[in-house]
Amino acid sequence: MAHFEIRDLSFTYASAKGRLSLDRVSFDVDKGQYLVLCGKSGSGKTTLLKQLKPVLSPAGKRSGEVLFNGVPVRQLSERDQAAKIGYVMQNPDDQIVTDKVWHELAFGLESLGCDQKTMRARVAEMACYFGIQDWFHRDVANLSGGQKQLLNLASIMAMQPEVLILDEPTSQLDPIAASDFLNTVRKINLELGTTVIITEHRLEDIFPHADRAVVMDGGRVIADDRPRNIGRLLYEQDNPMFTAMPTPVRVFYGSGGSGECPLTVRDGRSWLSEAFPAGAKVKSLPETKNPVEDNEPALIMKELWFRYEKDTPDIMRGVSAEVPTGSLYAIVGGNGAGKSTTLKAICGINRPYRGKIRIFGKPVEKYRSAELFSRCLAMLPQDPKSLFVKKTVREELEEMNSDKARVGEIAALCQVEPLLDSHPYDLSGGEQQRAALAKVLLTEPRLLLLDEPTKGIDSFFKETFAGILAELKAKGITIVMVSHDVEFCARYADMVSMFFDGQILTTDTPRRFFGSNSFYTTAANRMSRHVFTQAVTAEDVIALCRANREGEA
Amino acid sequence: MKREENDAFSRCHPAVGFTFFVGAIGLGAMIMHPAYIAASAVFAVTYYCLLKGARGMKLVALSIPLFLFLTFANPLVNHDGQRVLTYVFGKPYTFEALLYGMVIAGMLIAMILWAGCYNAVMTSDKFMTLFGGMIPTISMLLLMVLRLVPNMLRKIGQLAGARRCIGRGAAENATKKEQAADSLNVLSALMTWALEGGVITADSMKARGYGTERRSSFQIHTLTGQDICLLGTMGVLTVMIVRLIALGGTAANYTPIMEITPVTGRYVWGFAAYCAFLSLPTVLYIKEAVQWHISRSGI
Repeated sequence: MAHFEIRDLSFTYASAKGRLSLDRVSFDVDKGQYLVLCGKSGSGKTTLLKQLKPVLSPAGKRSGEVLFNGVPVRQLSERDQAAKIGYVMQNPDDQIVTDKVWHELAFGLESLGCDQKTMRARVAEMACYFGIQDWFHRDVANLSGGQKQLLNLASIMAMQPEVLILDEPTSQLDPIAASDFLNTVRKINLELGTTVIITEHRLEDIFPHADRAVVMDGGRVIADDRPRNIGRLLYEQDNPMFTAMPTPVRVFYGSGGSGECPLTVRDGRSWLSEAFPAGAKVKSLPETKNPVEDNEPALIMKELWFRYEKDTPDIMRGVSAEVPTGSLYAIVGGNGAGKSTTLKAICGINRPYRGKIRIFGKPVEKYRSAELFSRCLAMLPQDPKSLFVKKTVREELEEMNSDKARVGEIAALCQVEPLLDSHPYDLSGGEQQRAALAKVLLTEPRLLLLDEPTKGIDSFFKETFAGILAELKAKGITIVMVSHDVEFCARYADMVSMFFDGQILTTDTPRRFFGSNSFYTTAANRMSRHVFTQAVTAEDVIALCRANREGEA
Repeated sequence: MKREENDAFSRCHPAVGFTFFVGAIGLGAMIMHPAYIAASAVFAVTYYCLLKGARGMKLVALSIPLFLFLTFANPLVNHDGQRVLTYVFGKPYTFEALLYGMVIAGMLIAMILWAGCYNAVMTSDKFMTLFGGMIPTISMLLLMVLRLVPNMLRKIGQLAGARRCIGRGAAENATKKEQAADSLNVLSALMTWALEGGVITADSMKARGYGTERRSSFQIHTLTGQDICLLGTMGVLTVMIVRLIALGGTAANYTPIMEITPVTGRYVWGFAAYCAFLSLPTVLYIKEAVQWHISRSGI
């Protein structure tokens, strides 16, 4: 029996001047199904999810209907809506209402007026199931992002919903916390039979588990099938959504593979083994000389030591690096390893107690603050919102530079021209990132620091963003980026460094760096390392497959 | 583990802690008798030091000069009394006024230390469990407001840091006017940010059924047999002390004529009750320490 039946649902936001955000969407969700909803930002995913829980639906014009267990969902009492339809949102912080972990777990039950005995049992159950008992008494302020999001999930599950709706739950998390979170969702679906409807950018982690994928574009459903078949549909339509597919899927179709499409790295490996039973003739792509490697260094860090307080452990324990001028230099590494701290040290927000930093050959302490942050150094913080202080994007940019022509140029470069009159908070994550970048670029930096620039943005925005970075590089700007996103670094960076234990341990070109790692590397490399050497992106693997096939023919 | 969490009294039900502090501070403020004040100060110092360890000594040490200052300053403004010790600026400096100053100073210090103990023992969440059940909606509101402040402070730091890294925000050599303009910018950004977050929090509350039913309140602390026993003991002792006050057993007058009811004799039971009441947290602490010591040496 269908759990949700969505019938010809159309929706227009009250403020959208008649533009349809949902256009005659119809599909059913079966009981116990694990459904992935994918699509670009702005394709109507969140709008659709909010229609499934009317207390969250925004104002606007609606036609068609949504049935929940055969009853129109709008006729459900608020109590039933709260108890039966669980909804987890994107931002881990703002969803939390109370100050203690135990109180947050009990919040929903308190709202429903449960008695002590039931509450105790349910809270205890949930804490055990989610492994929260160790931090049960903690203040929520002291939790990591991953723990916060797990707490949000647990406090929804405490109400024992029949359906769990998740709106990009892992977009603010690092990859390890994200895959933990998604595993928990998977476990809930498998062990409790809870229906799951989820939107995600990180399809690699959920595509193999999902029963069904629904792809949306421009408010319409453009594909609805098992995940295994979705890749073919999108590839044949030449849909830009194809770039968001997991690496094995992209390699499979990109190289014109035949047979069953692999979804996981494991399947991808066996598919490659079968495709090249005698091993590949062409094992690696021709080595290209990295043009920036020998450039003069724009930034030199020499044995930096730093700790936040006198009696806390050192965060930076002898960080040394040289960043060649005009390169995109990526620093990867685990959570809380000290990567962001290092960026702040370069900016002078954190002062290392030992070591030297030279920017363009001059020690950083010799710069006056005004001199350093104008035409020299600028940083894009992790949360782009922390740069916004005005009412429109235009005012934001003009705060930095009153020269309208220059503002226009940068706006064009960052592709924010159509957004100039919007409020910065009304933009999507990727748009905010670009607006913030434009603002930073108006200080005309020669050395640009980026802190997790791809966090929470989808694969299309990442490509746009990479294009902007390439243009900046072409203008001779040096970019230092801190990131968890190994796929992005492998594809676009010139140099990659591994940050671990307060130090930069290894530095190399992405191909050599990821090619020699076996765990901390891209999906494409893990999938192809037994056949090819140093193939680190899906494009590399596709090129090698093609080269081998041509060799045979 | 913080020291406070290691204290047996702190781990009791919040009702026990709350009753005790209401008693200790309330009764302490009513009694002006030097012996009772001395008792109160002694127990406050002991318990405060047990709670805070070496850090606690600091406040205790600081309170000594305050005590001396208040004691010796009182006769300078208060000239009543019969036994004149000396003349200062031509005014009498009397023994009664000196004693009165000592009593006032002792009481003040005892109150400060009890308040310090209260802060350490009765954390905000304990207060909430106690009163959240009575008025869940208001206590919920209070809790959210209290959360807002540290969140805001964190965000201010983030905003200011981000602005510095693009060469905006208050530079070292900025004028007052520039600094003010920048603070205004940060403030308005903070407001937008908070409102934005507030909308999401409101959604998250609605999504979890906020306002659909009469709220109940999850009690993390359970009332144990020991808690009931302690509450009963405190009840009995409080009745005794109130009776004592009513009978005039704690009456003390300093100026112009000094009359202090003796502690020994008729009212000795009252003094014993008062000491017993105030010593409860310390006794619990020591009892537990001894128990651990014995069980450890038994292994």
